[in-house]
Amino acid sequence: MGVALKVRGLQASVGSVKILNGIDLDVPFGEMHALMGPNGSGKSTLCHVLCGHPDFTAEGEAWVDGREVLGLEADERARLGLVQAFQSPVAVPGVDLAELMREAAEERGIDPEEADRRIAEASRRFDMAPFLERSINDDLSGGEKKRSEIFQISVLSPKAALLDETDSGLDIDMVRKVASAVEEMRGPGMGVLMITHHSRILSYVEPDRVHVMMGGRIVTSGGPGLAQELERDGYEGLRKRLGIKTPSAAAPARPSSDFFTDLPFEV
Amino acid sequence: MLSLNSDTLERLNAAVPASVASRRREALREYGRLDMPSPKEENWKYVTLGFDLDAMTIPAAPGDTLPEGDFLSALSHRAGSAVMVDGRLTGIENHSEAWLGSAAEAWGAYPPSDLLTPDTDKFAAAALAFSSDGISLRIPRNRAVEAPFVIDVQSTLPDTVTFPSLDIRAEENSEATVVVLLRSPDEVASVMVPNLQTTVGSGARLSVTTVGIMGNEGVTIMHHRSRIGRDATFRAGEIGLGGRLARIDLRTTLEGAGGSVEVVGLYFGEMEQVLDYRLVVNHVGRSTSSDVFLKGAVEDQAQSVFTGLLRIEEGAVGTSAFETNRNLVLSDGAKANSVPNLEILCNDIICGHGSSVGPLETEPMYYLMSRGLSRQRAERVLVRGFFEEAIGRLPVDDLDEPARQAVNRRFAEAQEGGRV
Ligand SMILES: Nc1ncnc2c1ncn2[C@@H]1O[C@H](COP(=O)(O)OP(=O)(O)OP(=O)(O)O)[C@@H](O)[C@H]1O
Ligand SMILES: [Mg+2]
Repeated sequence: MGVALKVRGLQASVGSVKILNGIDLDVPFGEMHALMGPNGSGKSTLCHVLCGHPDFTAEGEAWVDGREVLGLEADERARLGLVQAFQSPVAVPGVDLAELMREAAEERGIDPEEADRRIAEASRRFDMAPFLERSINDDLSGGEKKRSEIFQISVLSPKAALLDETDSGLDIDMVRKVASAVEEMRGPGMGVLMITHHSRILSYVEPDRVHVMMGGRIVTSGGPGLAQELERDGYEGLRKRLGIKTPSAAAPARPSSDFFTDLPFEV
Repeated sequence: MLSLNSDTLERLNAAVPASVASRRREALREYGRLDMPSPKEENWKYVTLGFDLDAMTIPAAPGDTLPEGDFLSALSHRAGSAVMVDGRLTGIENHSEAWLGSAAEAWGAYPPSDLLTPDTDKFAAAALAFSSDGISLRIPRNRAVEAPFVIDVQSTLPDTVTFPSLDIRAEENSEATVVVLLRSPDEVASVMVPNLQTTVGSGARLSVTTVGIMGNEGVTIMHHRSRIGRDATFRAGEIGLGGRLARIDLRTTLEGAGGSVEVVGLYFGEMEQVLDYRLVVNHVGRSTSSDVFLKGAVEDQAQSVFTGLLRIEEGAVGTSAFETNRNLVLSDGAKANSVPNLEILCNDIICGHGSSVGPLETEPMYYLMSRGLSRQRAERVLVRGFFEEAIGRLPVDDLDEPARQAVNRRFAEAQEGGRV
């Protein structure tokens, strides 16, 4: 099977602040990979850089199903099959969720009936009916926003899905639903990169690989056992095992203190 | 063709009661005394008129009635309608218990409203001196009329000026909805100076929505004065799309205790249009409330102006007054001016204002594009969403769809033409 998402030597910065320091990653079709890492290690940045957020400048290479995406506009990447569920999605007042999904379908040349069918199906699965006619992420609770994000992934069914902490803030039943949806999506047409801080979801849907990111790098990868090790020993334990001693070398450069809130390493 | 002079005034006066005639003469004196407004005056800042009222004439007879158009056809269910063409009342239809008819005819029964004073500016003076006719609508006390009254004011003849007078009174505990359309065909350089006066009696509920859809050469200089009684509710809807210059000078006074006013609406300027909103809400009575909420966009070289003054007089304790004006600037050459203002002469009130001017925001753009919407489609969706909040608050639901279509079409055309 091919590779849904392949990343090589990806570096990224905002202005003069370097955040990603060389990422290599392969998520084959049919697989789900978990990406873990301390706060501020660059997980969300990786998603944004891959999806084409205009604030970042990137170097390196990234392919979605064999198509190079880094030079493309955000919308082209999405239509090639790379879509993320945002960690903190922005509110879009006045634009409702169903409308967005219909526009997205129309842009892809999907006929309106098929679009409505997909919307209805995903809406049943994630109990989204009350939110379809409401403004996107406007006055939604934290968990409702996450539901809205996974709902959109389910409607758009991308080739490579980036789920950025979709399980955070969800109630127990919803975590199970997300897990079973990921389980179903993990088919021959999709590869999933799931960013999470909680090994709980990984007990419902077992990852094929677990990657750990620190200071803008993937510092180690392994099987599901790696998540359990983290659960037990924390990042501090992992650092000891890997002999990561000089955090300032791995941490992103800091031109001023207010860029940095959550220190990934002890300084 | 009639010039704006005393001969014309005396001709008009021949048919009216003496009290009206003498008020007209007084207005003519003001007209002679006042200069054409200039952008140097604070209240006319940003506005270049580009014509001289003295050089314009009042049409002697009305031209051809205009075809219906999207807004009118959306208002199929009506309590009554009145059509004015080039300053003359040409049609009246009324299915309600309200009195709807010619203002000139009404003057025989009761004096016209005097909410607008001739010293306001030269246009107000001219409107009060030279209005040949108008429409009077009176909702009798304790009557509720559900369907909207539609007042269709047209200007069809080039180089003319008309002064339609629109006098709307909702008596005690009555209820009504009114839509006023101001329109002219493209390429007709005419000036319309409507004098809209609304009186909302105690406990009454009235909404008046003006739909400004003049053609590309048309000018409207509208004065809207409203007076709101005890526990009365007034809603003013504004849809501003048309005209080379469209100005609304709206002053509303909350006189009685417990009265409330809401001014909601949207405007969208294109090409060289100037859309000019001057709003004053005057809180006089205790426990009165106001909410001004206008959203606008400008593209090409269009300009918009919003000045909104919330004035809370001594004694207006328990007032709540809010004002929001949000503007999208969609082309480099376009400009939106937004100046909210407060004048508070009283303690114990709640007051707030917000104003913004800027392009489409980048984070929502990125969000929509990350779902696969092209930049152009994402822009259209955001523009549509921007106006949706204002459309949802318009007092007349039948106007939602034509308003939505009009703003969407306007932006889509600019996109297609590469103007935004
Ligand atoms: N636009 C930006 N400008 C400056 N710094 C940024 C910007 N975006 C992210 N950063 C910094 O980059 C680092 C990585 O942030 P990122 O959001 O990718 O972390 P994360 O791994 O997703 O953390 P979390 O687990 O808390 O979600 C942080 O130190 C953050 O402050
Ligand atoms: Mg994050």
